[in-house]
Amino acid sequence: MSSTAIVSTTSASARRRRPDLTPYLLVAPAVALIVLIYGYPIVRIFIDSFLSPTKTGAKTVGVANYGFAVNDPVFWKSAGNNVFLLAGVPLMTVLALLFAVVLFDQIRGWRVYRTLVFTPYIMAVPVIGATFVYLYGFNGIVNTLLRDIGLGGVAQDWLGNPTLVMPSILSVVIYRELGFGVMLFLARMASIRLELYEAAEIDGAGWWARLRYVTIPQLRSVIGFFVVIELITMLSWVFAYVYSMTGGGPGFASSVLELYIWKNAFAYRAIGIASAVAVLLLVATSVLIVVQLLVRGGESETGEE
Amino acid sequence: MRTTMVRFGGLLAAASIVLSACGSAASTPAPTPAATTAATAPTDSASTAAVPTNAEPVELTYWYWAESDAPGADKWMADSVAAYQKDHPNVTIKVVPQATDTLQSAFQTAAASKSGPDIASQWATGPVLGFVWSDAISPISDLVPADEIKHWLNTSENTYQGKLWAMPMYLLGIGMAYNKELFVKAGVTPPTGDRWTWDEFLAASAKLKAAGITPFVGGDKNGYLGAWWFANLGGQQLDSEADLVKAVVGEASFTDPKYSGWYTELEKLVKAGYINNDVMSLDLDQGVRQFYQGKGAMAFTSDGMLASAIKELGADKVGVMRPPKWGTGTLADAGNATQSISFFVTKWSQHQQAAADFLQYLHTPERLTEWYKATGVVAADDRFDSTLVTVPQLQQMAKFETTGQQTWLENWIPSQLDGDGDLPAGQLIFSGSGTAADAGQLWERVAGTWRAAHPDELANWQGLLK
Repeated sequence: MSSTAIVSTTSASARRRRPDLTPYLLVAPAVALIVLIYGYPIVRIFIDSFLSPTKTGAKTVGVANYGFAVNDPVFWKSAGNNVFLLAGVPLMTVLALLFAVVLFDQIRGWRVYRTLVFTPYIMAVPVIGATFVYLYGFNGIVNTLLRDIGLGGVAQDWLGNPTLVMPSILSVVIYRELGFGVMLFLARMASIRLELYEAAEIDGAGWWARLRYVTIPQLRSVIGFFVVIELITMLSWVFAYVYSMTGGGPGFASSVLELYIWKNAFAYRAIGIASAVAVLLLVATSVLIVVQLLVRGGESETGEE
Repeated sequence: MRTTMVRFGGLLAAASIVLSACGSAASTPAPTPAATTAATAPTDSASTAAVPTNAEPVELTYWYWAESDAPGADKWMADSVAAYQKDHPNVTIKVVPQATDTLQSAFQTAAASKSGPDIASQWATGPVLGFVWSDAISPISDLVPADEIKHWLNTSENTYQGKLWAMPMYLLGIGMAYNKELFVKAGVTPPTGDRWTWDEFLAASAKLKAAGITPFVGGDKNGYLGAWWFANLGGQQLDSEADLVKAVVGEASFTDPKYSGWYTELEKLVKAGYINNDVMSLDLDQGVRQFYQGKGAMAFTSDGMLASAIKELGADKVGVMRPPKWGTGTLADAGNATQSISFFVTKWSQHQQAAADFLQYLHTPERLTEWYKATGVVAADDRFDSTLVTVPQLQQMAKFETTGQQTWLENWIPSQLDGDGDLPAGQLIFSGSGTAADAGQLWERVAGTWRAAHPDELANWQGLLK
């Protein structure tokens, strides 16, 4: 090997060892910004969950804030209410699917129905909450209608009764979020190849069989997406519903974790406890996402849509 | 799925940003107040004298809250600022109205960073003292002369360690309005004195109910009807506010009937059907509005609510009495008037004297008269011209509010105990989902949680007993 060849080989090797940093430098500002915006607050909350504010600053209290939270019955009541709302996701998904299928068949007036179903989703939650406060009041519109048609015995204090308040709130969440699911499903259904339906019809498939063996399998990824979004909503996006309709009452019957965090952080000067619960909520939500990713990953490997 | 993760990240980040903003502030060691002006010796009439136009420019920021208590207060403040600035051309006052829900949290953030308004508003006693203890307030008694302060009413609500920390502006009390026409219909006679005994109240309620009339109307969806019952019955077995503080700090128990026995009486009212059946569907003021509409014979009322009732129902149909006497403690005879909101000068303000001068100006007789004209609420000042109150029922309310000992119990508990104990406990009773014993246990549990989570605050509250 000549010396020239040696030099050439050495510089090529050096080039291999020294990766081109230009792309990294170009994206560095964006990455730094993302870390600052997304990463710092999460790290800050994690740190704050181990601190307790005092007059002279903050002192480290170990896991005491977590201890306060898990020993507080209101925390568990709030978490239980979030779990109750989670259980509403399958119902909401099925309803959204049914509405989408019916609208996709372009029944008479389907455009009007589509608009009606989607409209709540673009309305502000406090507006919807305030509206349902009037609808669900003991002497509100729902009960007045029930009484007028001779069903006065069914009339209840929908938001003032501790047993009924969470189902009532769930119904409002479903009312609003349903439109999002219907639009997602309709958009995906519009892109399903017609040949699949034609083939199914040639094979003698009826409405139900087409739904069961063509539509739903084709919608699987969108349904998965919708479910994940709604799970996140039920865990960490229902504050506005609860705050505007009940404030967490009666008693703590409709308290949710977000409200618990908000009260501790902003009303009770207990930022450490609020941060600890925020971390727990973050972990719970992350677990849900990871499970969903694992399930979806498994589906991809088996070749399913 | 990437979209899902991005949205998920966005959700978390949004929540995190909000919390960390607050958390960081709370956990950052308090900086030394920058350029805090030492309290200069209080000067007489500094507020009313016009100053030369070439005086040093002063900009004051005022975080102001009063409109919710006294509709018309915002306009009055705007007029007051305009008039003051005209006489003091070097002074500019920026009034920032505050929302009820964030009144405490917003100032908490300011206090943590030792920056923000020059003048701020907080509810009396507990909330004010909380910020005194976090070193956010300068005592107003160091800035305003004693012969001015002596005219202010209910100053005991914000007096601590020999200093007055905040200025009262007005007095709010809770009376019990009654519908004379419905009383006559049910054969109920109003009290001969200024109030009924509890048994007389129950007897009257029974007669009203028998006549098909809802005896008492209110709304507790937001928890405040329960809080008003607490303010009126909750202290009637106590001899002083210190008795209540003893239970707060753990020297007594809220499960003791002395503290929570009154819930048994409230439970009786609910079970007997003496309270409107939609009480849990309505907020406090919505419930009182039912009284204006003649849907109930009695309701708790503030001065403003009473004025509205007179306007709606007619002066000849509305009467007012003090809430009934049930207990045997010294406080059973006390009135329930409070200054509600209090105004104070912040520790970090660079213009403390100028801020205090403006507050003092708000108590000039001319401003007090304008206050009443704008709001119909009695001013917390013995120079207030009581002849301005011409409606007999409102005169009676004013008399209730300014005669004898006054105490507003809600001022004497930490906000966590109020929000997680007082308000939900009433809801347990009104919704029928809990008993009086449950209510007492709830108070005790929340007090225990507060004591464990806030040892520094506990020490401060214990200091109130010394």
